[in-house]
Amino acid sequence: MRPTLWRSIAAVSSLLAAGLALDAARRPRYGGELRVEMEAAYGDPAALPEPFAGQVFESLVRLDDHGEFRPWLAASWSHDIARKRWTLVPRAGVVTHNGAAWAPGPMVFPDDAPIENILRDLVGAAPASTGPFRVARWEPGRSARLEAHATHWRGRPYLDAVELRMGRPLREQVLDLELGKADAVETPVTEIRRLRQRGTIVSVSPPIETLALRFESERASAAVREAVALAIDRTAIHGVLLQRQGEASAALLPRWLSGYAFLFSADRNVARAKQLAASAPPLAYGYDPQDSVSRAVAERIAVNAAEAGIVIRPAGNAAPDVRVIRLPVESRDARLALTGIAIRLRVPLAKDAANPYEIERALLEGFRVIPIAHLPRAWALSPRVRNWGPLEDAWLEPAEPKP
Amino acid sequence: VTFRTKLLLVSSLTIGGCVALVTGAVSAATRRSFERIDAARREALLAQFRAEMGAQGRDVARRMETTASSAEVQQILAGAAEYDAAKGAAEAQGLDFLDVVRPDLTIVSSAHWPARFGYKNDWQIASEDWKTTETFLARIPTPEGSAVGLIAIREAPGGAFVLGGRRLDPAFLKSLGLAPGMRALLWLGPRDVADAQGAIAQPEKLDALIAEVRNTGGQSTGTVQWGEGRASAEAFLAVPLDRRGKLMGVLLAGASLAEQVNLERAILWSGVIVGGSGIVIGVLLGWWTTERITRPVERLAEGARAVAGGDWSAQVEVLSHDEIGELARAFNQMTAQLLEQRDRAIQAERVAAWRELARRLAHELKNPLFPLQITIENLQRARAGSDAEFDEVFRESTTTLLNELAVLKTIVGRFSDFARMPAPRFEEIDLRELVRDVLKLYDAHPKIQCAAELPVEPVRIAADPEQLRRALTNLVLNGMDAMPEGGALRVRVAATGTGARLEVSDSGQGLTEEECARLFTPYYTTKQHGTGLGLAIVQSVVSDHHGKIAVVSRPGEGATFIIDLPREQTV
Repeated sequence: MRPTLWRSIAAVSSLLAAGLALDAARRPRYGGELRVEMEAAYGDPAALPEPFAGQVFESLVRLDDHGEFRPWLAASWSHDIARKRWTLVPRAGVVTHNGAAWAPGPMVFPDDAPIENILRDLVGAAPASTGPFRVARWEPGRSARLEAHATHWRGRPYLDAVELRMGRPLREQVLDLELGKADAVETPVTEIRRLRQRGTIVSVSPPIETLALRFESERASAAVREAVALAIDRTAIHGVLLQRQGEASAALLPRWLSGYAFLFSADRNVARAKQLAASAPPLAYGYDPQDSVSRAVAERIAVNAAEAGIVIRPAGNAAPDVRVIRLPVESRDARLALTGIAIRLRVPLAKDAANPYEIERALLEGFRVIPIAHLPRAWALSPRVRNWGPLEDAWLEPAEPKP
Repeated sequence: VTFRTKLLLVSSLTIGGCVALVTGAVSAATRRSFERIDAARREALLAQFRAEMGAQGRDVARRMETTASSAEVQQILAGAAEYDAAKGAAEAQGLDFLDVVRPDLTIVSSAHWPARFGYKNDWQIASEDWKTTETFLARIPTPEGSAVGLIAIREAPGGAFVLGGRRLDPAFLKSLGLAPGMRALLWLGPRDVADAQGAIAQPEKLDALIAEVRNTGGQSTGTVQWGEGRASAEAFLAVPLDRRGKLMGVLLAGASLAEQVNLERAILWSGVIVGGSGIVIGVLLGWWTTERITRPVERLAEGARAVAGGDWSAQVEVLSHDEIGELARAFNQMTAQLLEQRDRAIQAERVAAWRELARRLAHELKNPLFPLQITIENLQRARAGSDAEFDEVFRESTTTLLNELAVLKTIVGRFSDFARMPAPRFEEIDLRELVRDVLKLYDAHPKIQCAAELPVEPVRIAADPEQLRRALTNLVLNGMDAMPEGGALRVRVAATGTGARLEVSDSGQGLTEEECARLFTPYYTTKQHGTGLGLAIVQSVVSDHHGKIAVVSRPGEGATFIIDLPREQTV
């Protein structure tokens, strides 16, 4: 009997200890340095993309994942009784990176526009260096070190620091991850399946980038451009080249952001394309030579166009007539995102449009830009990384002691 | 052109021509040799290319065999690989082209054009005899257009196929060992021409040669000049690379002409230098030679000119003992003999002249002396007779003596006139007036009809009127003497380009050729009672007037004396 009791006590103790250990493992942990590598190189901390955006500089208002305005440094906003002005109330207890109390001027705005418009302007305006991380070192285009802002108004982030290396080729990033020299590296969508097959943790974001074909010369008429749009086999591109990551689409904004993406037809019609492509001149295509996805998509589009009777060949060193480009979705607000895209495309924005759909339709009119797919951003992570997302919420498992 | 110049010209041309002939012959022989060697080298390159194609073909077939049964291909066909997994399979076997296709020819994965997945392969199979052919040339579509490859097709598990091979490109040409100056080009399409280093410049210059290959379907040769000058030219042998009559490409085996041109240029320059040196040396030697030849000849010529000028004592220096020296000695001997003969001739002429003068004097004086002697003897005989008879005889004899003495005086006067011919005093005269004055004296001659043919315009010349009158009178009298039985005497005056012509014609018995030749010799006469000084005086006058006199006559046809006188006289 005693042995059984003791055995039972031991078993209960073991289970209790295991449960405590498991609980400790799942609980966020402070400390550690996260090593991140990126392919792109940035000259300004304010230009850093997700998940670094908003980690150094903060604005009065932010957009949440659903595109809704959320109070941030401005704790609230209210209307005066006469309904002539809006007043934003600054958040209390905010400290800047140099230790001074954040003290903005009066935040009063005339009530001559809907509050959404006022807030939309504030999303990216007048950022303050009050974020959860401060810039300890910045070598433009090469590397940076972000350290935890201990007196952040939302509390200290879990990570002590983030070491960022920029301009690293994708191939070297993967090697660094495998050799334990990096904790998070970028990976193209075409590598996701292979990496996962090898047991690597890959974090994939919602589609935040639009892969599109842009006509850069006037050699192709509107009819030829439309023919190219109709010849593109988005299904094969999405299913084979993009390995079903993201979504095939003929819209500039992803469906999760705009909600109307399905209104832009992505159907293929080779017969119609052949009619439109009569006497089409030979064209030359280009792409970012560092971007294997763009190259594969450009080559496939050339094959699709050839089926419609349009010759599109690699431009080589010459100036291309069409180019496969990536258009980042820079905001969770459709209008702001389209504004960013219009700026990148160097085309005027239809400001008098009633809604984002009208804006987007105007941008796509004339087929000077043909959306192909929306791509997510993927990060390959080391097993230490936990809760990958906004850096302020991420934390690291302690490194296992070396035998 | 002097003899020296001719000799120099001939020697220069001879040397230059010989050198040019030798240079041309050597150049032509060199060119033919180079052409033969280049043709042989091009054929060797062609054979090497074919051998390399065969070896590469066998290698491609073996690698495709391995690829068809590889695990990668099986994974691709099973859908367990990436869309571009054929790349890895191709790289593993060193292939440039690889399509993995299903039995319905749908491309599952393509190494050279990954984007073509899902499309049908249209560059091969179907009715081709691919199963019996190890490898073949084919034009394969690529993203850049098309390329030519050495292709093999093999069956993969499940009725699928793998189609692949190696690109026929500059890298292929690198495997050919090329002799210096040789080059292999590969024409794979318009403006798509490459050698072992890559695409070449000015590919359009090969268009004519390629067009000939296309038209004939066989080998063709031609020369292409890439830049300025023949040294940039290249001789090509173009060989079609085809399959079943379809031209896939053209192999061009080229041999640079630079070496040949440089050698020809070196030969040419050598010829020019040798020829130039030869001409210079020839000129110097010729100069020296001609100097040795022509200087004595020039001296001989100077000596001859001196002799012609009257210096019969001219002698030339004898500088050598050769033919030229012998000629100089002969010249000196000739002039010495001429001088000696002239002296003898002068002496003989003097003797002859004195004898003739003596004969004439004797003849002229004898005629009046005989009447004198008879008259005096008549006087002596009359003195012995009666006084009346003596007086009669005395009167007649004194008359005769005076007449004969007058004749003697005339004879002496003529000789005196000839000896004392004064220098002419020129003045402008009208020759017509002179003729009229002279003929007026003889108009009344009973047997001879005198006539003058004178121009309407005055014929003015510079002349001594007295001397010219005397000369004309002598000619008129001479003509009358030639017509003892009567006849016609005609004097004709005419203006000429340089002066005037005076002609005196008679209708007498005329003169023989020998008489004409000797007519103006002093003391020569054809008359029984002439002194032989009349025509000599005429010739002397004409000569002093810088004119010319001639006689035209035939026996029985009269004679015409022609005098040409200049218009002006220079003092």
